[in-house]
Amino acid sequence: MNTITQNHGGARTGAGRKKNSGKFKEDTKVMRVPVSLVEQVKSTLDVYKSQLKSNVEVFEFDANAPSLSIPIFSSRVQAGFPSPADDHLEDRLDLNKHLIHHQEATFFVRAQGESMLNAGIHPGDILVVDKSLPAKSSKIVIAVVDGEFTVKRLHKYKGKITLKAENPEFDDIEICEGNELIIWGVVTSVIHQYA
Amino acid sequence: MPKLNQQKFALVDCNNFYASCERVFDPKLEREPIVVLSNNDGCVIARSNEAKSLGIKMGVPYYQVKDLIIDKSVVVKSSNYPLYGDMSSRVMKVISQYSPVQEVYSIDESFLDLSGLMVNLNTHMQALKNQVKSWTGIPVCVGMGSTKVLAKLANRIAKIYPRFNGVFDIDTLPNDRFNKLLESVEVGDIWGVGHKSAQKLQQVGIHSAYDFYQADIGIIETLLGVNGKRVYRELYGHACLSLEEIAPARKQIVSSRSFGADLSDFDEINQALTSLTRKAVNKLNQQSLAATSLSVFIYTNPFKKGVECINLSKTMGMSTPISDENLLIPLCAKLLKQIYEPGYGFYKGGVMLGNLTPDKNQQDLFTISQKSVQFADQPYGNLLRYASELGNDRWLPRAEFQSNRFTTHWSELLTV
Repeated sequence: MNTITQNHGGARTGAGRKKNSGKFKEDTKVMRVPVSLVEQVKSTLDVYKSQLKSNVEVFEFDANAPSLSIPIFSSRVQAGFPSPADDHLEDRLDLNKHLIHHQEATFFVRAQGESMLNAGIHPGDILVVDKSLPAKSSKIVIAVVDGEFTVKRLHKYKGKITLKAENPEFDDIEICEGNELIIWGVVTSVIHQYA
Repeated sequence: MPKLNQQKFALVDCNNFYASCERVFDPKLEREPIVVLSNNDGCVIARSNEAKSLGIKMGVPYYQVKDLIIDKSVVVKSSNYPLYGDMSSRVMKVISQYSPVQEVYSIDESFLDLSGLMVNLNTHMQALKNQVKSWTGIPVCVGMGSTKVLAKLANRIAKIYPRFNGVFDIDTLPNDRFNKLLESVEVGDIWGVGHKSAQKLQQVGIHSAYDFYQADIGIIETLLGVNGKRVYRELYGHACLSLEEIAPARKQIVSSRSFGADLSDFDEINQALTSLTRKAVNKLNQQSLAATSLSVFIYTNPFKKGVECINLSKTMGMSTPISDENLLIPLCAKLLKQIYEPGYGFYKGGVMLGNLTPDKNQQDLFTISQKSVQFADQPYGNLLRYASELGNDRWLPRAEFQSNRFTTHWSELLTV
C-alpha cells in the first residue's frame, strides 16, 4: 500500500523524439535574436537546412571570384552648412510624362509615306498614338479602312467622313457606304529625329 | 441558387487573348480563323472562335492539323510572348482601376473583389469592358458571383450568350435556371475540379456540375478532400477562396526550351544554356532573390521511336545564396561540362535556380562583384552578350510565323 510505483507520472525514459533526429541532425540551442536580424538568420538557416536535406554538392565560393574593390571614403563628408538648394529639389523633366497621358493606351507607330508631310509627319518618324482619346474631327488619327492602316486627318461634316491627306500630291479618302472604318487611335505627337 | 449577399467577385477574362493581340496590330485578321502555336511551333495553344468552330482542338500538334489549316486558309502565328506579355500588363492595369482589390490570375484573367462597392455593378463592369477594349483593343468578358467559383462559371455564360453584352452576374439567376445551367456544365469544367478529380467523380456517377451540386458534401470531401469541399461550398455561395493579391514568392525559377534543332556539339548546347541562364538570372534579379542551388539538364527527344531517351542533369548547391550572373553563368558551364556526353542529339535543355531566398547582397564591405554586363548593357538595349552566348544560334526555337514585337522593340513598330 505504501510503495509508489514508478510507472505513474514523471518523465519516462526513452520517450520523445530521438536525439539529433531534427532538421539539423545535431543539438540545438534557444537564443534571442534581434528582430532586425531575424530574416537574415532565417535565410542562413534555410540554406543550411536545404543543403542537409538534398545531397547536393556544396559549392564553396572561390576566393578569386571576379571582384572590384572600391575605396570606401573617396571624398570627405562635409559636416557643415547644408546645400541651400536642398529645399528646392524638383523632379527632372521627363519626356514620357510630357508626351504620354494614358500609359496603358499609348502605342508607338512608325510612319511611312509622305501623305502627311505638311502636318510635320515625315517617313520614318515615330508617332505617339493614344487609343483612349475620342476621334474628334480635325484630329490626326490612325485609321483602319477595310483592314488597311493609314494615318490621315479626320474630317466629319454633316455625317460625311473624310480622311484628309496633308500633301497636295495625295488624294483624300472618302468613306462611302460599304467601306469599313475603324479609328485605331489618335496621334498626339510626332517624334522626328535628325539623322 | 446562391444567396445574394454583400460578397461579390468578378472574373475578367480576355476573349481568345493571343488571337486578339494579333488582331490589334493586324485588323485584317478580324473574323479570320487564327491559331497560335506553342514555343518551337509544336502545338496549337490558342484559337480564335472561327478556328474553334473549324474543329481545331486545343493542344493538337501542328502537323496533325496542317492540311486543314491550309485547306481553310487559317492564319498561323508563332507565339509572340513579348507582345502578349506587354498587352497583358496594359489590360491588367486598366482593370485595376475598377476595384481596390485585384488578383491577376493568369496572363489573360483577373479576379476583382467588388464587395461593398457603392455602384451599380453591371454598369461598372460594362464600363470596364468598354475601357479595356478602347484603351488596348482587347475584348474581355466579365462574370460576377458571390464566390470565385461562381464568378468563373458566370464568365462562361457571359462568353457564350451575346445578349448579356459581355457582362453576367450569376446571382441574378432564379433557382431553376441556375440548376439548368449547372446541368449543361461538365463537372471537370468547374473551376478547381482538376482532370484527376473529375475522373474520380465520374466513377461514382457525378458527371455534370449539377450532379456535383446535388451530391452529399461528405462524399465530395471523401473523394476530393478539403479542396473539393471548398469548391462545393463556393458553388452554394459561401466564399472559401479569397483573392491572392500578391503572387506567392517563387520557390524556383526554371528556364528551359526545346531547341530548334537537335544539338550534339558542346559549344552549341553551351550557347543555349548561357542564354537560358541569363534569362533565369534576370527573373531572379527582378524579384530581388538569390539562388542557393543550380541545376542544369539536357535530354534527347523522348518521342523519337527506337532511340533510348538520354536524360542528363546535375545539381549544385552553394554555401552562400548568389544572384550574380557572372558567378552563375560559369557555374552553369561547369555543370554542363560534367554531364555532357558526345554523340547524342539533345533536343531540350534548361537550368533551374532553386532554394531561392531574398537577395541580401551579403558581401563583405570591400568587394562588390561586377554586375558588369547587366549594368553596361542598359544604354545599349540588351545588345551585350556573353562570349559563350555567341554561336550559330541553331538552338533558337523555331518561330516561323511570328508577328512583330510591336510594343517592346523600336525596330519592330507597327508601320502606317
